[in-house]
Amino acid sequence: MMNTLRQSGTLLGFLAIVVFFAVQLPDTFLTARNLINITQQLSMLIVVASAMTIVMVMGDFDLSVGSVASLAGVVAAVMFAHDYPVWQGVLAALGMGLLAGLGNGVLVSYVGILPFVATLGTLTVFSGMAFVVSDGKTIYGKDIPAEFSGFARGGWAAEWLGQGMKIPNLTIAALLVLILVWVILEQTTFGRRLYAIGGNREAALLAGLRVKRLRLLAFGLTGLGAAGAGLMYAARVASANPTQGSGLMLDAIAAVFLGMTMSRHGEPRVLFTLVGVLMLGILDNGLTQMKVDSYIREILVGVIVILSVGVAVLTKRQR
Amino acid sequence: MRKAYAGVPALDGVDLTLHGGTIHALMGENGAGKSTLIKLLAGVVPADDMVVERDGRAVSLTGPTDAHDHGFRFIHQELNIVPSLSVAENILLSHPFPRRFGLTVHWKRLRAGARDALGFLGADHIDPAAMAGSLGPGDRMLIKIAAALVTEDDGQAPCLYVLDEPTAALSGQESEMLFAVLARLKGQGAAILYVSHRMDEVMRICDEVTVLRDGKRVAHRAVRDTTKRTIIRDMTGRDVSDAYPPRTTPIRDTVVARVADLHSPHLSGIGFELRAGEILGVTGLAEAGQSALLGLFTGREKRRSGTLEALGQAAPKSPAQAWEAGIASIPRERRGDGLMLEMAIRSNVAVSHLNAYGFWASRTREASDTTEMGAKVRLKSSGPEQPVGQLSGGNQQKVVFARALLVQPNLLLLDEPTRGVDVGAKFDIYTLVRELSASGCAVILTSTDLPEVLGMCDRILVLNEGRQTHLLPRGTMGQAELLDTFYAKEAETT
Repeated sequence: MMNTLRQSGTLLGFLAIVVFFAVQLPDTFLTARNLINITQQLSMLIVVASAMTIVMVMGDFDLSVGSVASLAGVVAAVMFAHDYPVWQGVLAALGMGLLAGLGNGVLVSYVGILPFVATLGTLTVFSGMAFVVSDGKTIYGKDIPAEFSGFARGGWAAEWLGQGMKIPNLTIAALLVLILVWVILEQTTFGRRLYAIGGNREAALLAGLRVKRLRLLAFGLTGLGAAGAGLMYAARVASANPTQGSGLMLDAIAAVFLGMTMSRHGEPRVLFTLVGVLMLGILDNGLTQMKVDSYIREILVGVIVILSVGVAVLTKRQR
Repeated sequence: MRKAYAGVPALDGVDLTLHGGTIHALMGENGAGKSTLIKLLAGVVPADDMVVERDGRAVSLTGPTDAHDHGFRFIHQELNIVPSLSVAENILLSHPFPRRFGLTVHWKRLRAGARDALGFLGADHIDPAAMAGSLGPGDRMLIKIAAALVTEDDGQAPCLYVLDEPTAALSGQESEMLFAVLARLKGQGAAILYVSHRMDEVMRICDEVTVLRDGKRVAHRAVRDTTKRTIIRDMTGRDVSDAYPPRTTPIRDTVVARVADLHSPHLSGIGFELRAGEILGVTGLAEAGQSALLGLFTGREKRRSGTLEALGQAAPKSPAQAWEAGIASIPRERRGDGLMLEMAIRSNVAVSHLNAYGFWASRTREASDTTEMGAKVRLKSSGPEQPVGQLSGGNQQKVVFARALLVQPNLLLLDEPTRGVDVGAKFDIYTLVRELSASGCAVILTSTDLPEVLGMCDRILVLNEGRQTHLLPRGTMGQAELLDTFYAKEAETT
C-alpha cells in the first residue's frame, strides 16, 4: 500500500503539474505546437539522462557528462572549421565521448576512486580541454555546415497534428537513444548484470560477474551518450562553445532520481527517467510561459526534486 | 503479540512468559516468527497488537530506546558494530561516554568501563583500544555481548537479555565463555531469551523452551522433561531425523582438484587431492583459514608457492573464471556477499547463469529455471518475482544454492553453508549436497559445527592458524577427538 503510494506519488505530482499549467495557460500550454516544442527542447536532456541511467543502475554517478557534451560539440565544430566532412566530425566527437567515458570507467573501476570524486575531477579536466580545443571561443556562423545544423531544424512531416507540423529530428533521435538504452538495460543480459551490480556489488563479483569490465563499459556508454547530446545541442544552436553542455548534468541526475521514486524497489528505470525529464521540462516550459522569474524556477525545481525523493525515502523506510 | 507484513501474519497471537533466573529458549524454523518476535520486543518494528508487562505493570515499547530504558538488552544476529571505532567505543556506544570537565571524552574511564565488561565476559584478551574492525568475527560477537552487559550508571541491572543466535559466529571455546556468563546472569536473577538452532546447546543450557511454527506458539515445555526429537517435531510438524543423509554412491576415481605444498598469505602447507563426488570438510577453530582455503579456488587468495589445479586447469584468477570453469561457490555472509536483497529471487538465481542465456535476456527462461531450481532446493516463496529480502534466512540460503545448482558445477565450495539455518532447511541442504555428490560433483565444505563435519564429510582437513595440521579419513574419530586436533600445532598426516 505504502509502496504503491510511493510509486504513484511522483506520477500524480507530474499529472498535477500538467493540469495546473493546462488551467493557467489554456490557450498555449496543451497545444500540439507547444508539446512538440517541449520535446525538442528536452531532446538533449533525454539523451544525457538515459545515458546517466546506465551508470546509476550500478549505483554509480557520472558528474562529467556536461563537460563531455561541451567537449563533443567543440571537437566537432573545430573539425568542421577545418573543413572535415560532417560524418568525420560527428564520428570524432562520439569517439572522444566514448574515450572520455572509458577514462572515467578506468578511474572508477580499475583504480578504484569513488565515482563522485573521479568524475568531479574529470568534469574539470574535460571542461578545460573544451576551452583548449576551442581556444575559449564560440564557433559559429559559416564554420558550422548547413547540413549539420539543418538536421536539428528538420523533422518528419506530421500533418495529422495540424497544418505544417513536424516531429523534429532531435525528438526522434532522443527517442531512438531512449529505446536503445531501454533495450540495453531491460532486454539484454548485459543490463541484467548491471542491475545485479547495483543490487550488491560484492555478491555480483562472487557470483561470477566481471564487475570491473562491466563498470568500465557502462561508463563508456554514458560518455558516448553525453557526446551525442553535445552534438545535438551544437546542431540546434548552430554553434559550439566550451560551456554549453554544463547545465545538463544536474538536470540529468535529478531526472534519474525522480524516476527512481517511481520504480518498484527504488532502482533506476530508463522509462521512469523519461518521466522525470518530462516533469522538469514541463515545469520549465510552463513557468517560463507564466513569466515566472528564472531564479524562482530554479528554487521550485530544487524543492520538487527534494520533495519527491524525500517522500520516496520516507515511505520506503516505513516498510 | 501480533504482526503481519503485507497482510501475511508473521506472528499470530503469540504469548510468552519469561521468568527471572531462567534461560528460555525460543526455537522454530526460519520464517516461524522468531526474528519478528525479537524485533517487536526491541521496539524496532511496530506491533499490530502487543501487550508487554513487567512485574505486572504494563510497559510500552514504541522505540528502541524504550526497550533499553526498561532494562531489556538485545544481542542481534547481525554483526552490527562500527568497524572504524575502538572496541571501547563500540562497547559503550549506547551509553553516555564518561567526560572530563563535562566536555572532552575521558578516554581512560571509557576504556576502563569497556575492560570491566570484557572482564565480566572473560574476554580479557581483547584490547579495548584496538580498532573493532581489526578483530575476527568471534571477537566482534564478544564485543557485542560485552556491550549488552554494561550496567547503567544508576546501578540498575538489566532484567532481560535477548540473544539471537549468539554462538553462530563463535568457536567452541568462545561459546563456553558465553555459557558461563549466561549462568552468572541467570544467578543474578535476570531473564534470558535465547534463540538458537543448535539443539545441543539448548538442551544443555536452557530451562524452558517455546517453539514457534508459522507465527503461532505450538509448544512450551520444560527442557528437562523433553527430548530433542520432541522439539524437532514441534518445530517441523513432522518427524525429521536429525541424522545426516548417508553416502549411498561411491566416490569416483577422477581427480577433480589437486593441491600440493601450497603457501599463501593466510595459508601454509596445504596439500590434498579431491575426487569427483567426494566431500572434503575443512574445519578448525574459528578463522583458522577456512575461507582463505576456498578463496584459493576463486582467485581471492593469492598463491605464493606450491601448485593448485582444479578441473584440469590452473587456479582461477577471479570468481568469474571459477564459475566459467565449473566451480560454484556459496559465500559465508549470504546477506553481505551472497544476495541482492532487494531484487527478485529470479534475478538472484539467474545471475551466474547469464552467460548461458546469450546476449538477450529472457525473463521467461529465467523464471522457469528459477522455478525448477527452487523446487529442487525446496524453496518456500510466493514465486520467482518475490524479493529475496522478504525470505527467511534458510530460504535465502536455498536461493544461493539454487544459483549454484543452475550452473551444474563440477566443484562446489560451501563456506559454513548451514550457519543460521533451521533444522528443516539444514536437512534439505544436506540432502542436496549428497545428491550433488552422487552426480559426481566434488564438494569442499567449511564448518565449525563438528557433528556436521563428521556426518557429511568423507575426509576432514584440519587447519590451525592457516596451517594444515591433519587430513583425516571419515569414521576414524568422534567429536572429542576431532576437537582435540584443533589445538594440535604439529602437522600429522594420516
